[in-house]
Amino acid sequence: MKIQTKIDEKLNDKILYQNLKGFATAYKASKENAYKGLDFEVLRTIVHDLKDRDLNKVMQQFNQFKENVEIHGCKVFQAKTGDDACRYIADVMKNHGVKYMVKSKSMTSEEIQLNQYLEKEGLSPIETDLGEWILQIANEHPSHMVMPAIHKTRQQVAKIFSDYTGEEVDPEDIKAMVEIARRFLRESYFKAGIGMTGANVAVASTGTIGLITNEGNARLTSTVPPVHIVLVGYEKLCDNFNQALDIVRVLPKSATGQIITSYVSWIKGRNISYKNEEGIKETHYVFLDNGRLAFFEHPKFKEALKCIRCGSCANICPAYEMVGGHVYGDRYIGSIGLILTALYQGDEAAKDILKMCIGCRACSFNCPSGIDLQSLISDLKLVVGKKYGINPIKAKVFKTVVAKPKRMKSLLSMGASFQFPLTTTHKLNQEKIIKMVPMLPKEMDFRKFPALAAKTFSKRFFREGYDQFSSHRKVFFYPGCAIEYFYPEMGLAMVKLLQKSGIQVDIPKKAACCGIPAIASGDPDNAKTMIFNTLDSLNNTEDYEALLVLCPTCGGAIKHEFLDFTKEDPDRYKKAAQLGQMVTPVGKFLEDNNIKFQVIDQKKVTYHTPCHDTRSLGYSAEVFLSSILGSQFVPLTDSNVCCGFGGTYSLDFSSISNGILNKKIENIEATEAEILVTDCPGCVMQINGGLMHQNKAVKVLHLTEFIENHLIVVE
Amino acid sequence: MILLDQFLEKSALVGNENRIMKMADFKNEFKKGDFEYINAPGFQLFFDIRAGEKGIRSALVEADFAIAETGSVVIDSSNENLRLATCLAEKLVVVFPLSKLVDSLHDVAEFLEERTSGMGGYVAFITGASRTADIERVLTVGVHGPKEMTVIIINDL
Ligand code: SF4
Ligand code: SF4
Repeated sequence: MKIQTKIDEKLNDKILYQNLKGFATAYKASKENAYKGLDFEVLRTIVHDLKDRDLNKVMQQFNQFKENVEIHGCKVFQAKTGDDACRYIADVMKNHGVKYMVKSKSMTSEEIQLNQYLEKEGLSPIETDLGEWILQIANEHPSHMVMPAIHKTRQQVAKIFSDYTGEEVDPEDIKAMVEIARRFLRESYFKAGIGMTGANVAVASTGTIGLITNEGNARLTSTVPPVHIVLVGYEKLCDNFNQALDIVRVLPKSATGQIITSYVSWIKGRNISYKNEEGIKETHYVFLDNGRLAFFEHPKFKEALKCIRCGSCANICPAYEMVGGHVYGDRYIGSIGLILTALYQGDEAAKDILKMCIGCRACSFNCPSGIDLQSLISDLKLVVGKKYGINPIKAKVFKTVVAKPKRMKSLLSMGASFQFPLTTTHKLNQEKIIKMVPMLPKEMDFRKFPALAAKTFSKRFFREGYDQFSSHRKVFFYPGCAIEYFYPEMGLAMVKLLQKSGIQVDIPKKAACCGIPAIASGDPDNAKTMIFNTLDSLNNTEDYEALLVLCPTCGGAIKHEFLDFTKEDPDRYKKAAQLGQMVTPVGKFLEDNNIKFQVIDQKKVTYHTPCHDTRSLGYSAEVFLSSILGSQFVPLTDSNVCCGFGGTYSLDFSSISNGILNKKIENIEATEAEILVTDCPGCVMQINGGLMHQNKAVKVLHLTEFIENHLIVVE
Repeated sequence: MILLDQFLEKSALVGNENRIMKMADFKNEFKKGDFEYINAPGFQLFFDIRAGEKGIRSALVEADFAIAETGSVVIDSSNENLRLATCLAEKLVVVFPLSKLVDSLHDVAEFLEERTSGMGGYVAFITGASRTADIERVLTVGVHGPKEMTVIIINDL
């Protein structure tokens, strides 16, 4: 099935929508609660650092683990591939003449598709985790790493259970359904000849595994049957219990918002087993490579091996929330799922799903192992974009227009003159918009598009004489495409404000794109040209107090991506690094310079935090605004959740973008604010476009315009 | 006592019943006949059976430690019958003297190291009844193991 068809199918699934939406909200609250009083940044740095190791170190840990268990007669098998692991496990079953094997939840076994393998061999693995069991008897695969059956309603589960058991099941009574599972699964522990578990951690110093669970099925699985098989990836190894406990501290909090799970079990080797003829458990450890070991040596992708499988990067992902794990990922799910699909199954398998990431960076800031997931996804997008090509229309536009500043300027100014018959004024807020876009597919028609400005920002800046103001205090301003071509007023509002405070504003002689649209689309070559153009257009840093941006995405690019793309060009790299340090969002500049404001009217105001403000530039104007506005300020629920724009993403995956936007609009309406302030022109374009499309009268303003129209400077 | 308060808060959060009592009261209130399985060496209380597929009604076991940070009890479960009992009892009662209450997870690192460095070992942190939220995220207890849990802290030991 094509990815777009799959997406549409999921977007039309109302049950999935409700389940994931409810979960996302509840999860954020309980996670915050679970971490209360703790410093998340400190904790995740600890986990990140203890997982930071090269191949040599992992093999040392492995050898120590192996020695510690082999000496007591346990078997250790190193599986190169998933099939090797499956075959080994099947052989253990066959050698014991065992048909039934109980399993507790293991994502690693999903990775190697163990159940399918065993069933083909006529063997019967039985999932004992409730969610996994539901899916096993329904013949489906998990849509979430921690809550595998999150896409199912109680009614659906009741139907699955009654089909399976032949009993009548009350479709409303979840408790009764859990009882059924208890009854059926209880029997299976006792009839199974082997129990298989995964491992959340494998402690090298003793050869102990740690299992973090809630249901108690892993305890029974590892206790009752006479044989225990542990399937584990090398990345789960750690040195000692101190490290293991560092992981235990964060994993449940990030996974389900629990301080700790009901059970954490520490299991070593061969325990007494009344069911085993020898009276002692037979234990096997299957260590899985399946491509992992190679990546321990990769400078960047080794980061992905720090994952502790908490599932948080799905829980907070706005795109996952729209489509769920059957689309957003493959065997692994969520943000890390996109990455591991590429690393373990190959880029061919990942090339389509990688594009679904909108780039909001929420995952990078939520990962309890401190993995910068979004930047790994971005890198992989570039890899697959280069290998398999990107949307040919985009490629052409990037190459022939956006990467050629002069041509872009003349084309867009031509557009600005000829768009007239297509534009209109929106009756609610008098803003100039595109009346209708010819041949726009229906699914893309969820927001109004702003008209191109009649005169670009730069043109007005020079024509209207703003370049004449001079002062010993100077800042450099990089407008970026959105301000340049669509929203010059936002830029001019800032220029006027700063000049009033005695600060000279310089701008690039030539407008150029920061390259993000190309990077996000997976087009490294054109991105590089754009970045070089921009870098060359920016003045050197010596004379300036700051490099100001009104678009945090451009700012983030200068700060981060410019460095990546100039690595082989020392002069440009140096310039990028110096500029990067000076990038400042305008709100922060005003705060740092202690410029004080007062509000001049009574309007109720709320604020949307642009993804790249907090997550790329480390700033949000929320405190600034709320301190000026006092009770006129109403906080927005999920203020820092993406608005769904993502540049060309909103056209490529318009239905996902629209879904994310609708949630934002619901939250905005709930504040009953008259004005929504934000400080990213992209967010303005998306949110304002959506509000206008739905004829909602909330006014959307960039911070600079809000200051210009509703605040005054106080001395 | 900050540690105790912290423990009680976290333990209550997962739905445990918490009791604080003196040794003498504990001996008075909890009689051997009340449980199908007992393993509390510190109190010289034992009653051994091997719980099977049908499960058992109740079990009383002693914890080696309790952790204030998380509200967990730490039980060396290498004894197979103890493990079966704590897995299969409908009602689990765990007792420990206050002196065994420690601050954080890391305070039991050494204990874990020691108890699992031999041929076999099985240590459990238990924090509440067996639970699931796999159907519509509705929290339901007693999915495979105990449906309720009581924690008894003896404050004069
Ligand atoms: S990548 Fe991070 S957030 Fe995602 S599952 Fe792994 S540890 Fe959790
Ligand atoms: S960057 Fe945003 S959209 Fe992309 S995977 Fe992370 S959370 Fe999801």
